[in-house]
Amino acid sequence: MNQYARMIIVLMIISMASGAVLALSYEVTNPTIQEQARQKLEQSVLIVIPGATQMEEIQKDDITIYIGLDDEGNKKGIAFKTAGSGFNGPIEIMVGYDPKEGKLLGIEILSMSETPGLGARIQEEAFKDQFKGKSVEDEFVAKQDVEAISGATISSTAVASAIKTSLEKVVEIFPVGGDY
Amino acid sequence: MAKELFFIIIGAVFVNNFVLSRFLGQCPFLGVSSKTETAVGMGMATTFVLTMTAVAAYFLQNYVLAPYGLEPFLQIVSFILVIASLVQLVEMVVLKISPALYNAFGIFLPLITTNCIVMGAALLIPMYKYNLIKSIALGLGAGLGFTLALVLMSGIREEMEFHDVPEALKGPAIVFITAGLLSMIFLGFTGLVPLG
Amino acid sequence: MQLFKDFINGLWNENPIFRMVIGICSALAVTTAASNGIAMGLALTFVLTCSSILVSLLRSVIPAKVRIPCYIIVVATFTTVVDLFMKAYFPALYEVLGIFIPLIVVNCIVLARAEAFASKVGLARAIADALGMGLGYTWAITLISMIRELMGAGTLFGYRVMGEGFTPWVSAILPPGAFIVMGILVGLINVINRKTAKRTQCH
Repeated sequence: MNQYARMIIVLMIISMASGAVLALSYEVTNPTIQEQARQKLEQSVLIVIPGATQMEEIQKDDITIYIGLDDEGNKKGIAFKTAGSGFNGPIEIMVGYDPKEGKLLGIEILSMSETPGLGARIQEEAFKDQFKGKSVEDEFVAKQDVEAISGATISSTAVASAIKTSLEKVVEIFPVGGDY
Repeated sequence: MAKELFFIIIGAVFVNNFVLSRFLGQCPFLGVSSKTETAVGMGMATTFVLTMTAVAAYFLQNYVLAPYGLEPFLQIVSFILVIASLVQLVEMVVLKISPALYNAFGIFLPLITTNCIVMGAALLIPMYKYNLIKSIALGLGAGLGFTLALVLMSGIREEMEFHDVPEALKGPAIVFITAGLLSMIFLGFTGLVPLG
Repeated sequence: MQLFKDFINGLWNENPIFRMVIGICSALAVTTAASNGIAMGLALTFVLTCSSILVSLLRSVIPAKVRIPCYIIVVATFTTVVDLFMKAYFPALYEVLGIFIPLIVVNCIVLARAEAFASKVGLARAIADALGMGLGYTWAITLISMIRELMGAGTLFGYRVMGEGFTPWVSAILPPGAFIVMGILVGLINVINRKTAKRTQCH
């Protein structure tokens, strides 16, 4: 057999086998991956909106808003995702907000790759809790109205300024005190 | 925009140096850093391939993988094949255009395929959702950061040849410890780039 | 006997991390906590073993000229399989290890063993070598990550072991700590090796 033909045939067979294996593993794992992602999202929404037991997803001016509802279907607040650039990469944050009061309900870190023991401490309750009750008028500046984690000013600043930027956009859609 | 690009490059070279803080490209960092001359050649060749890979990764991701939903399972295979072919292509083109240039860094080209800094930068582009210009800036910055680390290390190693190193630490061990000290110095650049 | 020798080789004599010093990007990057070390090690062992099996089985089929592209496709396929399964069943670990799971595809250990060993020997020896190399890599990076976690956070596998008065040496978890711990360990292994070599000479 011509050696070039043989090279091409071998490469083709290996590529096809590889494609088959990959498609198969994707089929097997994809439902679980999707389910994991959905569960994680719902969990974080329910954490940042106290009292909510279910959520509803709506799209407003290319911002995805999650509305938190309690068992009777009463609106308990809204949640939105935001992201800042931390020390080692992006930090993704879920923010809970009450448009009636114009105050933050809580935040949750969705993903980050900050240094363990330093930047990673933005996941600690003490850091996250200080955002509760803040309003859009606040400065959101680390070391001023936001207590920065010592040795991790960059990570703390990234979280604070990301929340501030997105909150300003959300307040434009849902004015303070208005209905949602 | 210009400011953002500047920050991406400075970030990749100093603040989060791809070698000393992201730990990419360690094999050539240890293997090709004993002489400054070769370090410069390797750095230049890698920077060139990195910049081209950034462009290729951007187009592959945004015009092939993402639109057809192939990203979750074909990203790794397609990126590595594109990098391997690109390196081969660059090698052939350089040999044809300028034999002098080929002699300067041609021998390093085959090593670049398995340099994880190239694959690493390619994978970061879809992760950070960079546009074309920013992708190029990331590739260029990663390459410059790699060159800087390599050249610094080679300078220190050339100097170290004339000094007594404890018997047990000779070879890679002392290089690691030196890299640790360099990396500590680079920590000083933290906060150089404002965020947000 | 030969199989046992092939297996032991990767664990000590030609340990990829401490003796050959290859594939160390991930060994430095993910070793901030002991559990990361084990997970990364097992992921690499899986890719290495599967690739070695396939390369060994196909060694008479693959033409020499296209062997590298073939190996790359094989390795990339298994890396993606690990990537997908980790994402589905161990999402927390997957997030911590980040791009270093996909980067197994360019890990020098995998391609080097495929090219230098698996493509030249039978199935059994290829498996023994891959398991030895993979576990050699695993114990090495687990040791590094245990030292770094202990010094940098005062914990081991997440459990506090250091007393209340212990001030964590944060540098150990930051990038410089990785290089310095690695350098000292490589030096220590050198000393141990030289001691054992001398003893065998005396007899």
